[in-house]
Amino acid sequence: MDYKIRAARKEDCKDIARMIMELAVFEKMPDQVKISYKELERDGFCQNPFFECLIAEVSDAHRSKCGHTVVGYALYFYTYSTWKGRTVYLEDLYVMPEFRGNGIGKSLMSKVAKIAAEKQCVRLQLSVLDWNSPARDFYAAKGAQDLTDSEGWHFIRFDGLSLDNLVKEAPQD
Amino acid sequence: MEYKLRKAEPKDVPDILRLVKELAKYEEMENQVTLTEQDLLEDGFGDTPFYHCVIAELQPQSSDGLEVVGFAMYYFTYDPWVGKQLYLEDFFITQEYRGLGIGSHIMRHLSDLAMKTRCSGMMFVVAENNESSIQFYKRRGAEDLSQEEGWRLYRFDKESLVKMASAREE
Repeated sequence: MDYKIRAARKEDCKDIARMIMELAVFEKMPDQVKISYKELERDGFCQNPFFECLIAEVSDAHRSKCGHTVVGYALYFYTYSTWKGRTVYLEDLYVMPEFRGNGIGKSLMSKVAKIAAEKQCVRLQLSVLDWNSPARDFYAAKGAQDLTDSEGWHFIRFDGLSLDNLVKEAPQD
Repeated sequence: MEYKLRKAEPKDVPDILRLVKELAKYEEMENQVTLTEQDLLEDGFGDTPFYHCVIAELQPQSSDGLEVVGFAMYYFTYDPWVGKQLYLEDFFITQEYRGLGIGSHIMRHLSDLAMKTRCSGMMFVVAENNESSIQFYKRRGAEDLSQEEGWRLYRFDKESLVKMASAREE
C-alpha cells in the first residue's frame, strides 16, 4: 500500500484530534481527553510550538472505511537531559487498526529518529503502558530499554487540586 | 539565611553543571554526566532554548560573594489529552542548605509559573529507591502514574536512534 509520511499542517489538527481520541480509547482512558483540535492548532502552530507532528497519509483510492486519508501520526517534542543533552520525546505514535501491517508505524518511527538526529538529539524517550505488550515488543525490537524496569524510574504528576495547593502553600518538611 | 530565587543567566552555567554533577552523584550515576558547559550554554541560551533554569543564590554575608546552592531545570512538554505541561527535569539543593525551605520555595515558584503559562500539570520522574524525594512529592499531593496507571519509561540511546534513522523505508 502506498502512503506518505509528512509534517502535519494546521488543517490536519481535526484528523490528529480524531486519532488522539482513538488512541485514548485503546489505552482505556477516553474520559481523560480534555482538549480539542482548537488547542492543537493554537499550541502546535504558533511561533514557538509546544509539539511537532508527523502524519501518515494514503491516497483517496485507499481511504478508510469512514473516508479518512490521514491514517496515522507521531506527536513529539524536544526535551533535555542534564547528563547527555538534547532529547526527543515521542508522546504519541498511532496507526489506525485497518492500516496496520504495512510498515507505517516503522516509517513514522524512522522519520522521528531522523529528525532527532538532524537536531543533534542523543536520545529518544517515550512511555508505554505496562499491559501494552505489542507496543513494548515493537520498541524493544528496535533497541529501546525499559528504564522503569532497569532503573526504577516512575512518572509523577501534580495537576488540578494538587497543583493549586502547591501554588498556595508549602507544608513544613 | 538570606537567599534569592532568580532565572539562570549564561554566567551561571558553571554552577549549573556543578550542581548537575552533585545530583548525579546523589543518584549514584555521576559518571553518566557527559554534558559540558558549552552544551549547557548553547542549549539553554541560544535561539531556541531546550531548557529553562531557576537558581537559588545565597545573599552575601561577608565579602565572600554570592553562592549558587540550588537549581531547578525545566521545559514545556505536551500531553495531547490536556495540553501544555511543565516538566521538571532536575531539582536539587546542595546538602548543607537543605531543610531551610529553599526546595519548597522552588516548588511553589514552579507551580505558580505552570499556572501562569497555562500548563495543566507539572510532571517529572523519580527513581523508586529515592524515598525522601517520593515522600516530599507525595506530601504535596503528587500522583505516581507508573503505579496508578502503569506507565513505563522507555529510552532509545544514540546507537539505536541512528539505526532507526537509517532504516530502509518500507
